[in-house]
Amino acid sequence: MHDGSGRIVVQQLTKQFGAVVAVQNLSFVVEPGSVTGFLGPNGAGKTTTLRMLLGLVKPTAGSALINGVPFGGLGHPARVVGAVLEAQGFHPSRSARDHLRVYGAAIGVDDMRADHVLGLVGLAAAGNRSAGGFSLGMKQRLALATALLGDPQILVLDEPANGLDPEGIAWLRQFLQSYARAGRTVLISSHLLAEVEQTVDQVVIISHGQTRYNGPLENLRRSQASRVLVQPSDANGLMTALRAAEIYNVEALPDGRLAIGGVEAKQVADLALKAGVSVYGIEEERVNLEQLYFAMTNGQYQAAGPNQYGPPPGGGFGGPPGGGYQQQPGFPPSGGFPQQQPPSGGFPQQQYPPQQPGYPPPGGQQPPGYPPQQGYQPPQGFQQPGPGGFGGNA
Amino acid sequence: MGNLIKAEFRKILTTKMWWALLIPAVLLAFGYAFALGKGVTSIGDFIKNDGTLQKAGVNVDNISIGVFALSRSINITSVFPMLFGALGLSSELHRRTITTTFLTASSRAAVLSAKAVVYVLWGLIYGVIISGMVAAGTAAATGGNYLPDAGGFILILLAGVIECLLWTLLGLGFGALLGSPIGSVLILAIYAIAVEPVLDLVLHNTVAGILPNGAADGVTGATAGQILIDQLQSLAHSPLAQVMGPDNWNAFLFSIRAAAGGIGALDWWASGLVFLGWAMLFFGIGLFRNHTRDIT
Repeated sequence: MHDGSGRIVVQQLTKQFGAVVAVQNLSFVVEPGSVTGFLGPNGAGKTTTLRMLLGLVKPTAGSALINGVPFGGLGHPARVVGAVLEAQGFHPSRSARDHLRVYGAAIGVDDMRADHVLGLVGLAAAGNRSAGGFSLGMKQRLALATALLGDPQILVLDEPANGLDPEGIAWLRQFLQSYARAGRTVLISSHLLAEVEQTVDQVVIISHGQTRYNGPLENLRRSQASRVLVQPSDANGLMTALRAAEIYNVEALPDGRLAIGGVEAKQVADLALKAGVSVYGIEEERVNLEQLYFAMTNGQYQAAGPNQYGPPPGGGFGGPPGGGYQQQPGFPPSGGFPQQQPPSGGFPQQQYPPQQPGYPPPGGQQPPGYPPQQGYQPPQGFQQPGPGGFGGNA
Repeated sequence: MGNLIKAEFRKILTTKMWWALLIPAVLLAFGYAFALGKGVTSIGDFIKNDGTLQKAGVNVDNISIGVFALSRSINITSVFPMLFGALGLSSELHRRTITTTFLTASSRAAVLSAKAVVYVLWGLIYGVIISGMVAAGTAAATGGNYLPDAGGFILILLAGVIECLLWTLLGLGFGALLGSPIGSVLILAIYAIAVEPVLDLVLHNTVAGILPNGAADGVTGATAGQILIDQLQSLAHSPLAQVMGPDNWNAFLFSIRAAAGGIGALDWWASGLVFLGWAMLFFGIGLFRNHTRDIT
């Protein structure tokens, strides 16, 4: 029997579909009491991992344990783990209530439970409607209601925000957080960090079927590197002063500013003062979480050269739908920073090369929190351009 | 297990498929039996009016040629429980409800066993209704003439129930194996309607009785044939098999069974066992396939 811990342990999990390695040697642990985000670009192996965890797909190697046992050993699995998966079907002509009564019967719960969970997810009024007529968001709610039938200790949700309107997402966020606060385990996958950033406490980031990061989101925030952008009266003079102070991570930007890594703005200003260089402008540039996430996960389907795709052909991939972020010509498609200050040209990316091993980078004394930045919107919907990245999971 | 059986029953009863297939089955069973019943009645009446057999002392009313209507109508209508079975698991795979089904069950084996139990019961329900409608249609058309006594009548209907039940299981297994509702329905229907009749012709009926459709038809066909032969035997003075000699006897058996819809049929019990074997084969492979299948 299972140990009732609410813990999910994935150990060296590997899945091969023919020649394709979907998941490779993946290991992570999900603890109860928090919402854990399971992040990675489309095609990174998230869905396959969750399906292996739920006994739907047989691992090639390794194990995925829930409460210390594989899914098949749980006995009454729906009372331990409830899952909302993509491509989880409903019979189009079966009503929502009947759907829940079918699976409620399978789990062995009272028929009252069907109405209860319908109410929980806000579908009480739609219980008699057939699921075939539901919107994507309503189907997500019905799938969640199904997952809740057995009052499970663990909730696993694959891309739960798909199809939900902003109100639905806000509701889901609150729901999942209160679920976790009750000491239960919540694991949600997403290909967008921004989508779950406000929901999750812990993150597991995977790419290429392997774990890139597993830990508190807070630690990831703290690890944000920053650099200082300064507009000096005398760039060479300031550079000399910086070298004298053994600060070598300096780069001249095309607009005449200097970008200095691994320092604080105060330090630079003090040095400039000592060197007698006037400072016309100084600011700290922060890499936000989304950028970190890109850096950790990119390259999976990366094209060799710069972006070969043109501007998004209307509703295609890539460009953010609205928001301040504009993809500019010459901007590296992935791996670099999205620009935060429109006039400055593209940053060379040597400081945050794609897929830097051992990420997150050291240094970066960033205070916790996620300060909104100058005009920069987290690129909602931005995805890495590449054959596998166009909303394939949706 | 009880929970899963309840769930499977609810799955069936909360959608239209069970009556969408049952209604045409009822209509076809009654209509086909009625038409064939009219046919055998006119043949019987013709023989009776002709008077030749009467002069020879044979009472045509004692020869229940109505069994042909019973067995053939059941054979034709058994396509509906087959389709019903074929959709049992394949539609879950197709609609991806199988994910939820597996997530809410203690094991896949439990799901598949529950399905087997429920579809056996539904096969029985279909079988009883179809056999009943066939009986009603035949009786209505013949006005009660040319029909066997109650024992023989019930025997044929029982064979019909068994045939429907086994077709349901075979369909369930085949659909589970193929995973596509449309594919399994089409393949099964084309096989039963076109492929096997052609095979029967090409192979000179020698193997017809051991092929799935032939074996299924043999369950009712040989039962009906047996009833007729027993009646003829009772009218004859010496054992027919001896009088005819082995070759003629076999040809006679073949003709009677073929007339009853079971071309090349083995004895009714052998047909039943062979068909049971086919049903279990497909059922077994289909369920095994789903026991290990990756649900992606």
